[in-house]
Amino acid sequence: MKNFEGLNYYEILKIPANSSSFEIKRAYRDALSIYNENSLVTYCLFSNEGRDNILKTLKEAFLTLTDENKRAEYDSVLRDSGQIEVPITSIQNQKKPPHAHTYNMTDHDNSAEKVKKKSRKKEIEKLSNEVLSKDLISGDDLKKMRNAAGIELSEITAVAKISVSVLKSMEENRIESLPPELYLKNFLRHYAETLQIDPQKIIDGYLKNISLAQNK
Amino acid sequence: MSQIYPIGGGKGGVGKSFITASLGALLAKWGKKVLLIDLDLGGSNLHTLLGINDQQGGINRFLDKTVKNLENTAVSTVIQNLFFISSSLCSMETANLLHAHKLKIISAIQKLSFDYILLDLGTGTNFNTLDFFLTSNQGIFICTPEPTAIENSFRFIKAVYLRKLKHIVKRHSFNSAVKKAIIRPNHEAVTSPDIIDIVLKHDPDREIFLRNSLSEFKFKFILNQFRKNLDATIGDKIEDLCNRHFYSNFQFLGNVGYDVRIHDSVLSKKIFIHKYPYAPPAMDMKKIAEKIINNRPSVSLTGEIS
Repeated sequence: MKNFEGLNYYEILKIPANSSSFEIKRAYRDALSIYNENSLVTYCLFSNEGRDNILKTLKEAFLTLTDENKRAEYDSVLRDSGQIEVPITSIQNQKKPPHAHTYNMTDHDNSAEKVKKKSRKKEIEKLSNEVLSKDLISGDDLKKMRNAAGIELSEITAVAKISVSVLKSMEENRIESLPPELYLKNFLRHYAETLQIDPQKIIDGYLKNISLAQNK
Repeated sequence: MSQIYPIGGGKGGVGKSFITASLGALLAKWGKKVLLIDLDLGGSNLHTLLGINDQQGGINRFLDKTVKNLENTAVSTVIQNLFFISSSLCSMETANLLHAHKLKIISAIQKLSFDYILLDLGTGTNFNTLDFFLTSNQGIFICTPEPTAIENSFRFIKAVYLRKLKHIVKRHSFNSAVKKAIIRPNHEAVTSPDIIDIVLKHDPDREIFLRNSLSEFKFKFILNQFRKNLDATIGDKIEDLCNRHFYSNFQFLGNVGYDVRIHDSVLSKKIFIHKYPYAPPAMDMKKIAEKIINNRPSVSLTGEIS
């Protein structure tokens, strides 16, 4: 049985050498879900010793690649032995997304922070407490809170990955163009989280409001 | 030359015979000339799934020399192009086949001329089953997405692996220390990683050869009785894992959905895909049959036999 012999840390985690730290974390999490002792696919494949060795190697890979200095050192060893083709000149380059579908996680984190900071202002707190104390929450309430925080729809789109048209439908109470409830709940949660208000109250209040409107 | 697919898998009741019958029927409907051979000696029932009332026997007539050519024991089925060799009339003791008989059957199968030959194997990991599985350099194992079946599948893969290793070491010139350790292990159970280690230690030059020989073998597998609420990526995960940790090649062919009507079709002794051609499991198997047809035949199709 082969245990990662001859594979470098990137190959072990099945990620390209220019992966972002987010991708490394995700890959490590995926690997743990496959190699943990309760995993349906591997619980009977390895001996305890074999599994311990695998988990140890995975952890080493993860700890090395998520530590900037250790990673740089490790990369230079790989580069010298010709295992990495493209020279990596700076950490910034490493963090480029591998393809169009994945967005740059660090930028995303920063913008999320920025947007969330806006909603921490005092005056919004008062308004949001007012809204959250209501039994029914309408799209207008959402919009009011967002405007008070000075957050643009496009900013919510950037952080929560919800399209502007869906956000508009939500704020304008256009029931016919709202997504199915399961998605709607998720969108409301992201919306609320971006504005830093209690998601559960927003979801309950909003759903109650539209179900009343539908029954009219 | 025929494409031979032994169909095995350690656990009983996972649907080996059912899948054999269905895949055979689908390949035949695509105009391929297909032969199914029931090699579950001592536990045959493929004939029943095909709706055949076996009166004349098959392999038994070949073994007792009433029929000289194995091909002449094949009977036609309700499906055009689909032929079948039964083992249901073999002696009650055939489950413990003589070594010479086993070799005779294997070499006769390798000489047959069909587009596809599917071998329905028995449960477990006894030497007959393993050697029949190694008739070809590719085989399909059937598993269900349950811990018990997955456990037995890994055991089956490891057993096939070890058997293959032993054949290779027996037939080729290896250091005598290696031969001794592998062919006559004293008391400890020899597992495949041990063998690679033994070879590495005593005969490092042959290590690459051994790895290459093992990598020629192609395992394919199907997850049967797949229920909707399960993790659909489990087959891909097993494929990836096996390719990473075994020296051979693994391909996941697909899931076959669970359907109560399969039970009905067994009760009525009808071929399932004939009776319910549009049921989800039938559609799943169609996709798998397409994958098998699109698989390029590999260079050498004969496995190693001792």
